Amino acid sequence: MSARRERFLRAWRRFWKPPRRLRTTPAGRTYLVLTVGVGLGALNTGNNLLYLVLGLQLSLVVVSGILSERCVRRIQVRRLLPASPRARAPFHLAWGLQLPRGQAFALSVREVHPVMGSAVGQLAWLPAGEEVVVRAVATAPRRGPMQLSAVRVSTRFPFGLFEKSRDLELPGELLVLPGRVPPPPEPRSPTGGLGLEQRSLRGQDGGGDLAQLRELRDGEDARRIHWRKSAQLGTLLRVERDAQPQPRIVLQLDDRAPPEALDGTCEQLAARAELLLARGAEVGLESTGGVSVKPGAGAFHSQAILRALARAGHPGKTG
Amino acid sequence: MRSARLQLLLRDLAAGAAFAAMAISGQVPVWAVVVFVIALVLALAGRRPLSDGRLSAVILFGAVVLVYAAVLVEQLDLVVAACVTASLLTAQRLLSRPTGRTTDQVQLVSLLMVAGGAVLSADLLFALCLVVYAALGVLAQGLSVVAEVPGGPLPPIGRVLRPLGLGVALALVGSLVLFLLFPRLSWNVAARRAGASLGGATTGFADGLRLGGAGLLKSNPRVVFRARIDPDPGTDGLDAYWVGRRFDTFDGVQWSSAGRRGPPSRQVLLGAPGRKLVRQEIDLLPAYGSRTLVALDTPVRFADAESQQTTFSVRAEIYSSGAREVRLVGPSEHVTYRAFSTAGQDRIPPEDAAPERTRRLQLPKGLDPRIPVLAETLAEGAVGDRAVARQIERALQSGYAYTLELPGRVKDPLADFLFDRRAGHCEDFATALAVLLRTRQIPARVVVGFHGGERAAGEYLVRAGDAHAWVEAEVDGYVLRLDATPPQHRSAAGIGIAGWLLARWEALQIRWLDRVVEYSLLDQSQLVQRIRGRSGQTAGTARAEKRRDEGAAVALAALGAAFLVALLLGRRGASNDPVELGRRLSRLLRRGGRLGPGGWLDGARVGEAELAPVREGIARYREARFGRRPLLPGEGRRLVRQADQALRGFVALPLRDLGAQRSGRDHAS
Repeated sequence: MSARRERFLRAWRRFWKPPRRLRTTPAGRTYLVLTVGVGLGALNTGNNLLYLVLGLQLSLVVVSGILSERCVRRIQVRRLLPASPRARAPFHLAWGLQLPRGQAFALSVREVHPVMGSAVGQLAWLPAGEEVVVRAVATAPRRGPMQLSAVRVSTRFPFGLFEKSRDLELPGELLVLPGRVPPPPEPRSPTGGLGLEQRSLRGQDGGGDLAQLRELRDGEDARRIHWRKSAQLGTLLRVERDAQPQPRIVLQLDDRAPPEALDGTCEQLAARAELLLARGAEVGLESTGGVSVKPGAGAFHSQAILRALARAGHPGKTG
Repeated sequence: MRSARLQLLLRDLAAGAAFAAMAISGQVPVWAVVVFVIALVLALAGRRPLSDGRLSAVILFGAVVLVYAAVLVEQLDLVVAACVTASLLTAQRLLSRPTGRTTDQVQLVSLLMVAGGAVLSADLLFALCLVVYAALGVLAQGLSVVAEVPGGPLPPIGRVLRPLGLGVALALVGSLVLFLLFPRLSWNVAARRAGASLGGATTGFADGLRLGGAGLLKSNPRVVFRARIDPDPGTDGLDAYWVGRRFDTFDGVQWSSAGRRGPPSRQVLLGAPGRKLVRQEIDLLPAYGSRTLVALDTPVRFADAESQQTTFSVRAEIYSSGAREVRLVGPSEHVTYRAFSTAGQDRIPPEDAAPERTRRLQLPKGLDPRIPVLAETLAEGAVGDRAVARQIERALQSGYAYTLELPGRVKDPLADFLFDRRAGHCEDFATALAVLLRTRQIPARVVVGFHGGERAAGEYLVRAGDAHAWVEAEVDGYVLRLDATPPQHRSAAGIGIAGWLLARWEALQIRWLDRVVEYSLLDQSQLVQRIRGRSGQTAGTARAEKRRDEGAAVALAALGAAFLVALLLGRRGASNDPVELGRRLSRLLRRGGRLGPGGWLDGARVGEAELAPVREGIARYREARFGRRPLLPGEGRRLVRQADQALRGFVALPLRDLGAQRSGRDHAS
């Protein structure tokens, strides 16, 4: 599809999309029934005072529309996504709301999304000129990227009869990491199933046993000084240790499996990766679909593996 | 906490106003009023004992069953029963634990009560209650909606009340506009007659006039009828007699009349119409409470009577009851008709035959012998019937005092008035004059009706306190009106500031009835024609139209001024808007050809030392818009002004740069 055609279709859809959504609350439904009743009564009897009451009721509906529009018209929203949400675990969705002028009351904020839309943040008052962060607790049932298109800001102000909503287009992506499960049992064979590769390195600054003491040279790290021996001998001595064996493990993933099975595998791999990383191993990931994370260690690397597992089986960007 | 208390207070007061809208009709049973008032007082005091919803619901259900049982045995009107049910439900909700849901329920049931009030009452007080209910209800509901939201701190009350106040104003104006424009295409299948509101009818004509008792009517300020007179006398206070009924038989205590009843008709002629007649369009209000029609002295024709229902009018038939009294055939609380009188003519020939003349000369049996002697004394020196009548009239006016405080019933009230107390009210004066004239062989009778009339909105209002009695005597072949009551006591008694206020209220009430309660499809079409400027104007109505147009112009000007003030306030508010600041700076820089590449503020060519204010403005714009450092009140305007002054000292950059910049987009916009 050409870019021009895409633009045209987007504009066409926007043209037909109502600018505001209006939902009647239970109290609003009763109010409307009463209004219709009073209207019928006025028509039936010709009683002018009933017409007056009817006029008041109808004008209250109009006023409700005007005041609620003042609340949502100029509102600006910034989405604040959580860093590492896990599937089936509650996490905070947050939005920064701001009004250049005026003020808004009784606001509720949610994502226009079939899953994330159930998480609603509420705010009693939004003054002008300052950003207020609204949070909501959400839970994602499955891992994977969620494409968020818009944020829906609603208000029941002023009378609670109607809930007026405005959808603010705000494209974004929420990457839900695999859910937490107990790590699978250790494989019997180091290479069985999960593909393990080990190697032992010897280095002078490792974390293994004490190898020797020698004099500290210029420019060397003072944190390596063995202070007790240095004090005994009167010269600065530094510690040299054997390097600790660092297992290097590359996890293998078959991402051609059906979605539910793939979710389970990813969660198990995630649990395994986290366990191994916590033990100090260098962990990598390779999948049949071409996803590849080089072995590494540390918290940042853990996030990289979890993100790769979250995207496994989902087309689009990786990493 | 303070907000919650205020919200409950406003809610409860709104419910009270809604109940008052019903109660002013006077049709709500006293026990229901007592129950609601107790509930309201308890709620306002913060006592809400009905936390057990089930028990109170059962009690409420029982009460409602009893109410509708009363309807079944025809002890209670169905509409009144519905209103009572709404009031009981509101009372129960007022005393329940306050929640957002309870508040919604109170407001909705209050709305039902207001609608019930609209059906039961046509009083101006209803409008007052409606306005109070709308204002308090809107404020309470708005506060409740904000307080219900769990997130974040609650706003200061003033911040919420400001938009809600705007909402109240818009709602009231809107309701008025919708009321005027909503097409009056009524089916009229269930119209209900409006009652006389609180107090009921206050005056009326009985079959007889009995002397004695206290003159309470004289201090009653309620308007009983209004009249539009053509030709318009133009005076604020009318010194005129409105004839109701004539009495020619006196038994010593009570006056009565006899006569042959005429056939029902659309019009009744009481005499030969003269050349110059005064036309009156008379509106007997529900407070009048009688079937006797009144007209300016001396009426010669009554016609076109219509019984006014809430939304329509029905032709009413009238008849002559003899003794020159005209009555409605059936009862009606609100009647309009036309009357024609020969007002201003002094010499009216007597209309009756000889037997009636004889009756007007009869004296009561057992008349106190001192009375003929007194008549002779008072008439001493006067020659001719006319002079005698005038002399006795003057003697009574000057020799006797006016009072409303009478001891009650006495055996011979006339003798008591003339010889013992020497004080009385208009009936005593009229009776004394008529009897004294009869002792001098001058035929006389007592006439009861009203005296006076107060101008309001181009017509004359007559109050219950204007009720009066006087005498018609036949002298020299003509009817002569005589009034022995001292002139200052003929109309309603003065009642000070309260009376003045009441008079203004009554005038408003008249306008309310005219322009709201009786607003019709015809009025709507006239309104549309007036708006289109196609209304046919006579010279007489042109002045009134002009005055009305001036009023409309003043109202429009006031609205325009309010709009301008709102606009200015809005602009003032916008001076703190960073987007607006960026837009204005961009405009200034574009004019000077100094915008950055692509027409953005970023990269604007403002490196010169003299352009520091412009740089400051751009920096503050960025901070305010993206750096969470909002502009202070008025800061935006100051920055723009300084930037403008700084840029004025510089020559605009070459035109080619300008063209390049104009093609770009404005970053701030």
